[in-house]
Amino acid sequence: MNILVCIKQVPDDSVEVGIGADGKPAIDSITKVVNAFDTYALEMAARYKEALGDDSEITVLCVGPDEAKNSLKNCLAVGGNTAYLASDAAFSGSDPSGVAVIIKDAIAKLEEDKGAFDLIFTGKEATDAALGQTGIYLAEQLNTGVITNVIAIDVKDGKAVAKQETDEGYRMVESDTPVVLTVSKPDYDPRYPTIKNKMAARKKPIEGFDASILADPSLVGDAGAKVVAIKTYEPPKKEAGVKVQEESDEDSALKAIGMMVEAKVLG
Amino acid sequence: MNKAETKNILVYIEVADAAPVKVSLESLAQAKRMADEKGEKVIAAVIGQNIGDAAKEAAAAGADKVIAVDDAAFADFNLDVTADVMMQIIEKEKPEAVFVGGTQDGKDLAPKLGAKCATGCASDVVGMKLDEQGNIDFTCPLYSGTVLEDVVIAEARPQIATLRSGAFKKLEEAGQGEVVAESFTVADDAVKAKITETVKELTESVNLEDAEIIVSGGRGMGSADNFKLVQELADLLGGVVGATRPAIEDGWVPRNHQVGQSGKIVAPKLYIACGISGATQHLSGITGSDYIVAINKDEDAPIFSVANIGIVGNALKVLPVMIEEVKKIQAQ
Ligand SMILES: Cc1cc2nc3c(=O)[nH]c(=O)nc-3n(C[C@H](O)[C@H](O)[C@H](O)COP(=O)(O)OP(=O)(O)OC[C@H]3O[C@@H](n4cnc5c(N)ncnc54)[C@H](O)[C@@H]3O)c2cc1C
Ligand SMILES: Nc1ncnc2c1ncn2[C@@H]1O[C@H](COP(=O)(O)O)[C@@H](O)[C@H]1O
Repeated sequence: MNILVCIKQVPDDSVEVGIGADGKPAIDSITKVVNAFDTYALEMAARYKEALGDDSEITVLCVGPDEAKNSLKNCLAVGGNTAYLASDAAFSGSDPSGVAVIIKDAIAKLEEDKGAFDLIFTGKEATDAALGQTGIYLAEQLNTGVITNVIAIDVKDGKAVAKQETDEGYRMVESDTPVVLTVSKPDYDPRYPTIKNKMAARKKPIEGFDASILADPSLVGDAGAKVVAIKTYEPPKKEAGVKVQEESDEDSALKAIGMMVEAKVLG
Repeated sequence: MNKAETKNILVYIEVADAAPVKVSLESLAQAKRMADEKGEKVIAAVIGQNIGDAAKEAAAAGADKVIAVDDAAFADFNLDVTADVMMQIIEKEKPEAVFVGGTQDGKDLAPKLGAKCATGCASDVVGMKLDEQGNIDFTCPLYSGTVLEDVVIAEARPQIATLRSGAFKKLEEAGQGEVVAESFTVADDAVKAKITETVKELTESVNLEDAEIIVSGGRGMGSADNFKLVQELADLLGGVVGATRPAIEDGWVPRNHQVGQSGKIVAPKLYIACGISGATQHLSGITGSDYIVAINKDEDAPIFSVANIGIVGNALKVLPVMIEEVKKIQAQ
């Protein structure tokens, strides 16, 4: 299997983001990590490769700034075989349609050396804006099928067979390969890197692409973006209420119930 | 699509159990508000099998015209099929905007249409207004809703958006639109991904979005057995049980009870959070609640920053007392 995993570098999603003095989200000081759903996608790809036990290769691709190399290194330590960074000032400001164009053109470049990809993984959504669009735009531009919210994957007789999580259960979905798979949270967690793998990953080169790969540069960056950001701001904060901490938990419970009755939310 | 040629708002109506889903009706209502402001019309598309009643409901919920596509071939949702039918409708109607309710399938359909129309898509919209140029200014949450961003789709058409469940109110009085039956065919090669099996694992349906009272439990409840206290209080109050992702991953409660970023966005009158720390991914799902009561033994837990009443204490001790007190109140 020739597998591609697309990863986005995002601010650590366990840190609350506010607006900075410049009116923009204050993310500079927040550690950058691989988008959670992309770590699930990489884990799914790595497990699938291990299950096959053959010479399948996992390529990891990121569109982002130079500092995203760190995230790619982390991916090399947990299952990625090779990693590529597409980075160029011309890419900045791209919306999902633009990012998908960059990924599509990077795929064309990668396939010159590696041959056609069978499975193209993305996360279900990136935790920054939770758009969940890039994989779907990418599939349309590649003219392939897309299966979203995937929690398990297999390839049988040249067809990808995926388990798609739904609100009430799941759907089994089939598509010819290549196919784009957007991954949700399966019932396992991504592995941690071993020290040995971490050291090895650090030594591996990360190759780069720039805007010269683009077939049509007008589709990317600020100029190519169909969705234009006007402003960012903080929502009105809900005011913290009263804390109740009496001598005993029983007393606290009684007091709280009294307050709820008074506030007319109970009774 | 040429901007000058487009007008009106098209709303995709998702149907479940023969009725429009709530967020589709909310989307229709919001489409009507926007269309009224521009002196335009709202067109609804209902695609499926035996959708006659759902189409009528849409016609009474804000649509001027409902395109009813009733066909056994479209009985079950398939992304490629639905997107193909919607594209045929879009090409015919040339809408200025397309609204889709932010359900799981809706969140797939909107970018699919966005890609096919070479336009953009606003996600999870929680507010909107017209800007001076007549574009729709969409408010979208970033970083689990701790930041809001206003975006416009300035030139490309249609302006596509998924609307967040609960963010817009349904219309009480909406008038009566017409229902027009239309039929479409989808070419075989348009369908790249096929659904071979649909399995309902969770038979009990959980309606968190409409619940007036929700009692939720998190990892702090400690075990499936302790989690029953959450259930007991919810039952007593006629409410619905919610949960955080860890409580679900530990198997204490089924997955369709999840509240938050990757679960349900809720807006009850009363939300009681038991043993929940208040991670942003959880908070983003509950900030629409009118009144929040939190029980947590850690006085610095972030959940307290959004709680009207924050009980600092052991939920396993607090809940039994609350349950007894509520019983007493109800007996009166
Ligand atoms: C991509 C992504 C998506 C996610 N989506 C969601 C989502 O949709 N919904 C969601 O909920 N989470 C989601 N999460 C997980 C989220 O980040 C948090 O991990 C989760 O919400 C924490 O759940 P918790 O509060 O139950 O557990 P914890 O954070 O472990 O908190 C347990 C709390 O219980 C308290 N406690 C312990 N014992 C007691 C006791 N006896 N009495 C009272 N209090 C006690 C502790 O003080 C603590 O504050 C997501 C994470 C990621 C990465
Ligand atoms: N800049 C990027 N580089 C590589 N992959 C990306 C990038 N942005 C988004 N993706 C992929 O698309 C998925 C969905 O992202 P989004 O549409 O932003 O929610 C992510 O989980 C990634 O797999």
